[in-house]
Formats: sequence, C-alpha cells, structure tokens
Amino acid sequence: MANMLNKPELLRGDGKRLDGRDLDELRPLSIKANVLKNAAGSAYAEWGNNKVLAAVYGPKEVVPRHLLNPERAVIKCRYAMAPFSSLSDHGRSGPNRRAIEISKVTKEVFDNVVLLDEFPETAIELSIEILQSDGGTRAAGITTAAVALANAGIPMKDLVYSVSAGKIKDKIILDLNMIEDNYSDADMPVAVSPRTGNMLLLQMDGELTRQEFNLGLETILEAGKQISKIQRQALIDVYE
Amino acid sequence: MNTILIPGDSIETEAARNRNHYFVEDNKPYCTSMCVSSNSKIVPLEGLWYPNEGEPVVGVVKEVKNSIVEVDLSHFLRAIIIKSPRDRISFRIGDIIEASVKQVEDKKTIILIFPRLLKYGMLLQVKAVKIPRIIGKNNTMVGQISSFTKSNIIIGYNGLIYIKGGDMALAVSAILKVAAEAHRPGLTESVKKLLERELEVTEK
Repeated sequence: MANMLNKPELLRGDGKRLDGRDLDELRPLSIKANVLKNAAGSAYAEWGNNKVLAAVYGPKEVVPRHLLNPERAVIKCRYAMAPFSSLSDHGRSGPNRRAIEISKVTKEVFDNVVLLDEFPETAIELSIEILQSDGGTRAAGITTAAVALANAGIPMKDLVYSVSAGKIKDKIILDLNMIEDNYSDADMPVAVSPRTGNMLLLQMDGELTRQEFNLGLETILEAGKQISKIQRQALIDVYE
Repeated sequence: MNTILIPGDSIETEAARNRNHYFVEDNKPYCTSMCVSSNSKIVPLEGLWYPNEGEPVVGVVKEVKNSIVEVDLSHFLRAIIIKSPRDRISFRIGDIIEASVKQVEDKKTIILIFPRLLKYGMLLQVKAVKIPRIIGKNNTMVGQISSFTKSNIIIGYNGLIYIKGGDMALAVSAILKVAAEAHRPGLTESVKKLLERELEVTEK
C-alpha cells in the first residue's frame, strides 16, 4: 500500500491528469490477435504502458483429474506478472496472493460467457502474462484474454471487456494508471458483457458514494464502446 | 458482401444459422465464434470440430486394449474403436488409421467404425474449420491438388490430413495455402496457379 502521507497531487492545474489525459479518457490501446503460433488462440495488447500477452490452449484433458467436471469444461486461468514487469519483485517464487486472486476473478468472468457445457470433462487453459505493468493489469488481462479466446474459436456468448474507474478528490476518473491506482481515493475495476450489459466483475478499493459509483459505471460503459471496437478490429485484422 | 462476425453478434437471417456456431437468447440467434457471413450463409472462421455421424476422420492409434482401440484424433473427445472377433486388422500403437464416426456418446466419447490402416504416408494437421474449404464444393479443391501433385490425399474432418505419394511437399504447401486463405474468394483459381507455377519450376 502506498504511503498516503506522501500522496502526490494527481490532477494538474488545468484539470487534466498527470499524463495529460482528460478525466474520462482511456490510455492508448492497441490489440493484435493470433501472435503465438503454438497456441490455439492468442492476443497481445499494449494499453498505455501495460504490455499483456494472453494465450489459450484446449479444450484438453484435465490435469489434475480432481478438477474434472463431468458436466462442463473447466477454465484454468493463470495470471502472472513477469519478474521484469514492474519496479517491485514479481514471479520469483511462483504465484503470490495477488496473482492467485486475479486468476480466480478472471476465471469467473469467463465462466459466465464461455459455453462450457459443450465440452464436459475438459479444460480450457488461459494464460495471461503481464510483460510490463502500469496499473490496471487485471482489466488489461481480461480484455486481451477475451480476444485470445475468440481467436482460439472457443464458443462464447460475448466478447468481454474490462476497465477501471476511480476517484481523485471528488472527480471520477477512467482507466487508472499505476500512480493513480496507488494514490487515488477509490479504484473500481469492472468487466462487462457488452451485448447484455451484465457486470461480470466488480471490485472496489476505497470509497464511493452512490452517485459517484453510478457515474463511474456510466463512464466505464461509455468507454467500453471504444474498447469493444478495438477488440473487434483486432480479430478482423487476422483475416485481412 | 462478406461481413466478419465476432462472438455475441446477432445473426440476421434464419437461413444464415450454422447450427454449431450460434446460440439463441430471447428468440434471437447470436454468433458464438468468429464467422463470415456471405450470401445468407454463415461460415465459421475459427472454431472446434463437432463430430457428426458418418464423417470420415484420420487419427493415430494411441492404445490397444483387449476390447477397444483408443485413437488420438487431436481432439478433446476420446475416440475408440470397439474390437470385434471378426476384425482382420491388428492395430499397433502409432498406426495411422482412417475411420468413420459411428456416434458420439454423452458428448464424451466418439465411437469409430470401418477403420482402415494407412501406411507409408505423412500426416498434416490444420484447423478443423478449414476442412470444408480444403475439400471444396464437390471435392473440387482436394481433387485439383491431388491431380496436380499425384498424391493420395485422405482428409479427416477432425483436421488431420493423410498424404501419400506424388509431390507431397507441393501438396502440403497447397493445403496450407487453402487453410490460411480459406475466407478469401477465388481460392480455387489461385491454388491452381500456385500448383501450375511450382510444377513448371520443377519440370525445368
């Protein structure tokens, strides 16, 4: 946890954020699908300074066997930060508590959209590797993984996206970077199924009033249109 | 006009439905995988093979037991041949076989019939969704590749292709070209050009 006593000023005099973005502006996002030859599907995304690689394997045999579900497939999700991905240490002794938590919530997002009933007794392996991190990596991981799953031909009901909203003083901001993530008053990553508008992930750090919460969600849903468009284009570009 | 659809896109026409690549919610059909919609037809671009009765497959014998032979079809479902005392074939691990799908039990096991051993050829794996394009309308594509290269080509709907004899390298490159460009129109013609060009170079 960042030391709040040394909290930096996160908004500039002109009302913009430290990296020059407006309050409701996304960081530049680019996604490329089908980047790994040996994976069934893959995608690479650069979202601001985040660099994320996602790969999908399967459906395949479930190992260890006790995870097997006779009625449906299981998604095995592995979120990992490369040891060189950030200023702090990562990945030196296997997954840490944070990686285990993010792997779990990511798996639960995709449990809701992948047609798992079609592949009983199998596993779909989803690996998300954060090569460079600058805040919002779980959202970037989910957004990239959705593209990788579609690229693998895994049947899904929707192409999920994820992005976070937060609060600096009384202002709602979109797509927090690392410094905002550490020092803002609230951080709320959300994953959305754009077709139905269903929330598949909603976590919150800090405090938001009901109005701020609603405004945050509205900002996320608006930005989601842009993210969905980029995801769609990444998938279409494979065939052009 | 060709339109590329992604998971979650609604499918407009009833006729456009491809039964393995859509789901219905509130009486509306939606795509579940990457597809291309053209002339009121939906053709999958990505996706998995869903076995149907009578479809030919190519696989490799994985295990031989007293009553069954397990076959690796490079698929998530287990495939078996049930042995019968009248069988004349003796299977060994590693044998390449061609067979037909008899049925799929509980979405878990594919039962194969009419197995035939394939010897001295090579196996090529492509995405199963590309197989219809590799076969072509009335076998035109595979027939063309086969006649130009003089190779014997046996196609499994599971994505495994057996090639024997003739110019196997040319057959492989032609098949890979079809798999890579399956969504493009005029493919039969461009593959024909490739085959003619390559054969000309070889003859010189």
